[in-house]
Amino acid sequence: MSSATLTPPPEQAATFRRLRTRLARNGLWVALEHSRTRVVTMLGTSAFVFGFTFAVGLYLFNLLAKANIPFKGAIVEGLFDLMFFTLGTMLVFSTGLILYASLFTSPEARYLLCSPARADRIFATKFQAAVAFSSWGFVVLGIPVFLAYGYVTGVPWFFFALLPPYLLGYVLLPGSVSAILCLLLVRYVPRNRKQFFAVLGVVAVAVAGVWVYKVGIGLKKSAATGGRELDDLIGQFDLFRSGLAPSHWMTRGVMAAARNDLTGALVPLAQVWSNGLLLYVVAAWTAKRVYRTAYDRTAGGGRGKKVYGASWLDRVMGGLVFYLSPQTRTLVLKDFRTFRRDPTQWAVLIIFGLLMMIGATNMRQTYTAGLATMDRYAVSLMNLSGTAVLLCAGLSRFVFPLISLEGRKFWILGLTPVSRDQLLWGKFVFAATGALVVGEVLVLLSDAVIGLPAEGVALHAAVMAVVAVGLSGLNVGLGAYLPNFRETDPSKIVVGFGGTVNMVAGLGFIVLVIGAMAVPLHTAQLARAAAGGEKAISPWVYAGVPVGLLAGAAAVILPLRAGARSLRAMEF
Amino acid sequence: MPAPPGSETRFPLMIDITGVTKSYGPKVAVRDLTLQVPAGELFAFLGPNGAGKTTTIKMLCGLLFPTTGTVRVGGFDLRTHGDQARALVSYVPDQPFLYEKLTGREFLQFTADLYAMPRDRAAAKIDEVIGLFHLDEFVDDLTERYSHGMRQRTVFAAALVHEPKLLIADEPTVGLDPKSIRELKTLLRKLADSGTTVFLSTHTLDIAQELADRIGIIDRGQLLGCGTLTDLRKRAAMDGNLEDLFLAITKEEAAEAAVVS
Repeated sequence: MSSATLTPPPEQAATFRRLRTRLARNGLWVALEHSRTRVVTMLGTSAFVFGFTFAVGLYLFNLLAKANIPFKGAIVEGLFDLMFFTLGTMLVFSTGLILYASLFTSPEARYLLCSPARADRIFATKFQAAVAFSSWGFVVLGIPVFLAYGYVTGVPWFFFALLPPYLLGYVLLPGSVSAILCLLLVRYVPRNRKQFFAVLGVVAVAVAGVWVYKVGIGLKKSAATGGRELDDLIGQFDLFRSGLAPSHWMTRGVMAAARNDLTGALVPLAQVWSNGLLLYVVAAWTAKRVYRTAYDRTAGGGRGKKVYGASWLDRVMGGLVFYLSPQTRTLVLKDFRTFRRDPTQWAVLIIFGLLMMIGATNMRQTYTAGLATMDRYAVSLMNLSGTAVLLCAGLSRFVFPLISLEGRKFWILGLTPVSRDQLLWGKFVFAATGALVVGEVLVLLSDAVIGLPAEGVALHAAVMAVVAVGLSGLNVGLGAYLPNFRETDPSKIVVGFGGTVNMVAGLGFIVLVIGAMAVPLHTAQLARAAAGGEKAISPWVYAGVPVGLLAGAAAVILPLRAGARSLRAMEF
Repeated sequence: MPAPPGSETRFPLMIDITGVTKSYGPKVAVRDLTLQVPAGELFAFLGPNGAGKTTTIKMLCGLLFPTTGTVRVGGFDLRTHGDQARALVSYVPDQPFLYEKLTGREFLQFTADLYAMPRDRAAAKIDEVIGLFHLDEFVDDLTERYSHGMRQRTVFAAALVHEPKLLIADEPTVGLDPKSIRELKTLLRKLADSGTTVFLSTHTLDIAQELADRIGIIDRGQLLGCGTLTDLRKRAAMDGNLEDLFLAITKEEAAEAAVVS
């Protein structure tokens, strides 16, 4: 065919820029025109989160001031290193997940790949959206922390001026790394993905386990002796503190700005941006080379025919919710089947659970003479808090989007002879049952491993029950009250407005419940141990239990009631 | 602009599929498919569910690549010159995609920009397709408010706004009212007559029989028959309408497959 004429390569960057501008403008107009309350709630909540983070920051930095810890010294630097490294690692995962969904499973990607849009241009558009989605929380939460730091410590004006470019520049690095990993994994990962990811997971758990073990030893030694052993403990964090770690460039720059050293602040900033941009160019080049073939590989991956049927796990779940009506039980089993057939949903829980058990076991082995009561209470409180945060993250990721994901298929459920309240109740029971089983098993096992006394174990079991049931109520209720039916990607629902409100509410709820129910006993035990074990424990340490129970009841009743009202009013 | 590689054919071929096999893991979706469609032909692609029609279409759009064999559009190999090939193609899928927060007109403008149409030409063409598909009443509303039929008409308008050389449509009449279906059939025929190649995948055999210059029947990834209605009658050794022929040819194949297995 010789008659085909070719158009010159179009200026696609401008085309996509116009597209994004129009989408943003129209979206904002629709929001202001039709959902003004939602916009006001969104701005109000963001302002509240901002203010709350600022207040917590002020409080913590004032504590440092009282302890006479130098604000511009090694300890604060270490804390910043750890914070940037942790946030950076989280951004790698969250951006990668969002990018995978946008590049390989979204209808828009399919549409664009059939057009003459260049692969790297499609990638660039999706990358910007994914980084914005995954990082806005980082920027919104990071700014008040550093504002509080600057306010308490007294810093020059350019410290504040450099904050936005620092934080914005930093998100490019983990974003680009996750983009490169995502593209290469999809393109080159062996066909036998299940085995590949199983091996990868085991290696990751093993590496993390060794690290936790070393930190455990460092903690024990430094608590006992101090001095050189403290250096050993800090040595476990060398990875984040080396000159090659972008998190350390951030810390170095921010600390230099705090010390009134403008040149020292600008050099790391240049380092962050230049490396971020270079990595972004590498990611775009990788996309140009492999995106289309990677898409083909995902779409054409296929696998042998698998017959799905009932499993003994379904029978266990059915048994756990025997008290429900048959209709609600059917809904619970439907959600459970969807959950267990998606390995990405439960693999993360297993990995975190394993890490926690490795940590608890290491603590036990580290203290060969057996844990002192004081240590037991300190470590078990850490385990309890860790499990609660894990549940909060897990439920936010998997339960909060459940109603949103019914989306355009909602009419199927809407036409069934099941009431909307039953639907919500079914999701709540599903979430609460799963969360109770996971939470209680993890907490009781880790308490047993470290040999916590019975009164502590019983209290932890009660706290975990309140946390699991309360978080389930929050997630299901808020999921119905603030649904996002337009979005089909659960990770975007989670990092959207409703998901963020839910996450913040969940974390606040955990702090309240653990603070009221568990912290008094632990504090009393620590004080008792410090006094040589002679001080009696007052029964008043349990005074916070009713407060925790009330908070749990409120976390279930209020969101579920609001969610049910919203669901009943929903049209389909 | 140099002629595309492999363009030295005697007749201008718009679609040239040679020895294509496409596997999804262990499952072979398309098996050793060879098919040529010249420019200006209206080709109907028929087959039962899961026969391999959509996979073939996705390879023609450059969304998927063949496991073996080559797919060329307008002389351009989709694997090596994909961007050039895709510039010639418009694809209307059975479940059309629209940006929810764009108006119909903005979507048409985006499509024109994506295909690098000059501003004046794009403006004229947008007005033309708005009239052609009767989008006037809703073209300035956000597409999130459109019914399925309105979406389908908008997607067709976008598919034609950049004057493609090859129009691929997967079940194009789903969701359209009888009047729109009538108009669409007339339009497709007119497009083919004016030199645009139309590759139509459909289950509506009446449309294929009424419109198509040639018909291809695919089942279990293999092309069972390809030609005019007369050719297919010879192949099936029977008279009758397209429905009878389609059922006879696919039934024959199913029986052969059963014997082999």
